[in-house]
Amino acid sequence: MSQILENPRGGCVLAGISSVLAAINKVCPVFHSGPGCCMQTTAAEQGQSGHKSSCFVSGVSVPSSNMLEREVVFGGAGKLKTTIQGAIDIIDADAYFVLTGCTAGIIGDDIARVTEEFQKKGHNVYPIETPGFAGDSNLGYEIVWNTLIDQVIEENVPGDDKLVNVFGIVPYHDPFWSGNLEEIKRILNRLGLKVNTFFTDHQGMEDIRKCSGAALNIIINPWLFKGPAKKFEEKFGVPSIRIPGLPIGAADTTKFIHQVAEALKLDNDMVETVIAQEEDYVYHYLAQSIGVVSWKRFAIVADANSAVGLTRYLANDFSFTPVLVIISEPIFREEDKQRIISEISDLEYAKPPKIVFTADQYEINQAILTEEEDISLLIGSSNEREVGLQKDIQFLLASFPMSERLVLNRSYAGYRGSLTFTEDLYDNL
Amino acid sequence: MAKVQYSGVRESRTGRINDLGTTGKEAEENFKKGCLKRADRSFAQGLQCQQINSMAALMSLEDAVFISHSPQGCVGCSIMAVDMFRVGQAHRGIKNIRNPRIIVTNIDQKSVVFGGEEKLREAVKKAVERYHPKLIFIYASCASGIIGDDIDAIAADLQKEYEAVIVPIHCEGFKSKICASGFDAAFLAINEYILKREQLPKEEGLINLFAPTTISYADQKEMERMLSLLGAKVNYIPFYSSLEKIKRIPAAEASTSICKVFADEFMKTLWEDYNIPYSHTVMPIGIRNTDKWYRGIAEVIGKEKEVEEIIAREHERIEPLVEKLKKRLEGKRVFICGGTGRSFAAAALIDDFGMELVGLETPTYDEDAQVDIEYLNGIHKDFVLDIANMQPFEQVNLVKKLKPDAFIGVPEWAAKLGVPTTHVLDGKRPTMGYDGLLFLGNKIADQLENPGFNKKLAKHVKLPYKDSWYEEDAFKYIAGGN
Repeated sequence: MSQILENPRGGCVLAGISSVLAAINKVCPVFHSGPGCCMQTTAAEQGQSGHKSSCFVSGVSVPSSNMLEREVVFGGAGKLKTTIQGAIDIIDADAYFVLTGCTAGIIGDDIARVTEEFQKKGHNVYPIETPGFAGDSNLGYEIVWNTLIDQVIEENVPGDDKLVNVFGIVPYHDPFWSGNLEEIKRILNRLGLKVNTFFTDHQGMEDIRKCSGAALNIIINPWLFKGPAKKFEEKFGVPSIRIPGLPIGAADTTKFIHQVAEALKLDNDMVETVIAQEEDYVYHYLAQSIGVVSWKRFAIVADANSAVGLTRYLANDFSFTPVLVIISEPIFREEDKQRIISEISDLEYAKPPKIVFTADQYEINQAILTEEEDISLLIGSSNEREVGLQKDIQFLLASFPMSERLVLNRSYAGYRGSLTFTEDLYDNL
Repeated sequence: MAKVQYSGVRESRTGRINDLGTTGKEAEENFKKGCLKRADRSFAQGLQCQQINSMAALMSLEDAVFISHSPQGCVGCSIMAVDMFRVGQAHRGIKNIRNPRIIVTNIDQKSVVFGGEEKLREAVKKAVERYHPKLIFIYASCASGIIGDDIDAIAADLQKEYEAVIVPIHCEGFKSKICASGFDAAFLAINEYILKREQLPKEEGLINLFAPTTISYADQKEMERMLSLLGAKVNYIPFYSSLEKIKRIPAAEASTSICKVFADEFMKTLWEDYNIPYSHTVMPIGIRNTDKWYRGIAEVIGKEKEVEEIIAREHERIEPLVEKLKKRLEGKRVFICGGTGRSFAAAALIDDFGMELVGLETPTYDEDAQVDIEYLNGIHKDFVLDIANMQPFEQVNLVKKLKPDAFIGVPEWAAKLGVPTTHVLDGKRPTMGYDGLLFLGNKIADQLENPGFNKKLAKHVKLPYKDSWYEEDAFKYIAGGN
């Protein structure tokens, strides 16, 4: 059930699916959809994610059957077939995923029958039958992994007790996904682990096929990936741990390391040495700018993962005062809401902020405008700049959707990312 | 014979085609002989749907709420118009930059089975309660169209209840392959629901100047300056306008448009329904096209003599500067890709600089294109002509074979081939009129003289296509049409 939304953040499930796939090296989505869906979906996710788009295919480079009236009336399977064949002929991809737009979904074209023909000929062509109207883009991340678990990831892969899979940081839906994954990987590498981020370092289909050999799935997100994690464990026997929010700063990143170390029973001395060095690195820098970023009472509008991470860093490590946190993505399960609330409320010294769940822009603006307590820093998406200007509050553009910043490898996660975030907080006005 | 109302679907005009691989000369001859037939591509990449254009066209209107009766994904591209709107406000000196009010009904599985009427009614109610707008636009989508929601009937019913003018727009994506149809759908609805063929007394000297979202503020000022030199008052619409300005449209003495495929059909309607003469020429990019555009509107308002004096003055000012640019650009071979208006305008522009056209990619071929092609054939040797809405796979194949010195258009793909690129659709900076010409010329020349970025990029980044594709005929997948 999707709600009526003002200024929605991100696109439909098709947008989520195609942007996640586009972040995997040499993977080509093929759209069986209306003529605008390639552009619309890319614009909704990649286009609002700090102006970075897939290096492989995105937007009008994505093969598409461009269904018009004729296909709506007579079906589009024939058009899809020649589109897939063309894609195989000219695009140098390791895998092709056939996705369905609303048009194909409503008229009921059987895409699996078409992809099967290509699979029989030995091509890596996989169907994903989830039309755009089935949900929003977050769902797309889970749909992709469910598809990969069902159709791509191999069973009986030899286990590697040093290999971990990282899930939960959603490409493009987190504008800092690349940098964040790189920092998480750097930290895990320091613990002697090999890391599948799947979306950085040109990782691709081969890494996905073999990821069932991992010793642990690390889900960095307070609510996403519950279904796929269960499926993954049932099918491949790989257990999961959940890090209930993006670790930002020394305290939460150290906690993250401890959780991983415990799950994998890593050598304690080695772990503590790494932690000591990393924390020293952070505080060596923080000590050089004391008082430069002055005290703030802050409000945050972001997806749950970023909101938890940013709130905890600012409140616990930076002694800013949390006033209001708005989770700007639809959260469906009550247990997930409770987990998010507890992560944001369970702070070391600070009083818990007010927490609002809404993805609707009007409601978000109203929550900020009617907040009685002073707010002197607003961290949000491009959509919140308006209310920031209206209330004359310092504004930092740091969450999705983001159209006034260019983000390449910038990271807010981990030890080093927290320093970058702190740099961005500085405002000499 | 009763007048048949234009459907808003551009394909419905005879002689207009979208898929063709040819040359300038061949296209001109075959069009004359009536031999250009509608074709299709058996393999294609994504297009731009008309709904994108319908939304972008109106996104900057004041006192309006935009309701997309669709799943959430269909407002994806509106972010480009939203960005342009925010930047446009900054350029216009507005301090408290605001968001446009976009509400998506979020058609879902339940709506697909039971219809989306309730959601649409609820969305309109929210729009009214939240913003008390003067205008509410309802955009159809592929999904709403196929499930058969009657947005006209729902709008008519809601209109009884609310004061805001409710305007349903039929921009279902599957109805047209030509995204400019979306402009027509929006204007048809404006005529139907706002102007309603009611006649107004004419305001002396008032000109409707139609402009899409992609026109920068610098360009707006330049066009207004040029028209005011002719003694005209400008009603700049619909970008940054309002219900009041839209209602003034019938009071104008003449109309013209900055973009060739924006409001061209609507200006015909304004002539038929309100007796407003119009000028439909070219996009005012480059000396030749700016002159042509300027003379076009001057003629309609009876200022032929005045315009010649101004043009002479402008030429005197601009020509020495263009001459300097010409020295830097003469003889360079160019490939151009753009929308209908800009691609042809850019092709004419490069002639000002003495550059040579080797390839042109443009979305549609019709009577209008024929006029441009005849002109281009007169000044350039036989160039390759790809009638395509983007289709990067064909573009890179052609660019690699033709090896142009410069590429004008969306830079993403040619840049990865190492060719110096210049974007001609920069809605945040100047492009139009006599001054825009210098900005563009300098941009092209600077890129040509300092191409390091693209050259180095090409060494490190590969396009997604197989090497074998570049050996194939670029038009291999165009089927039918002969």
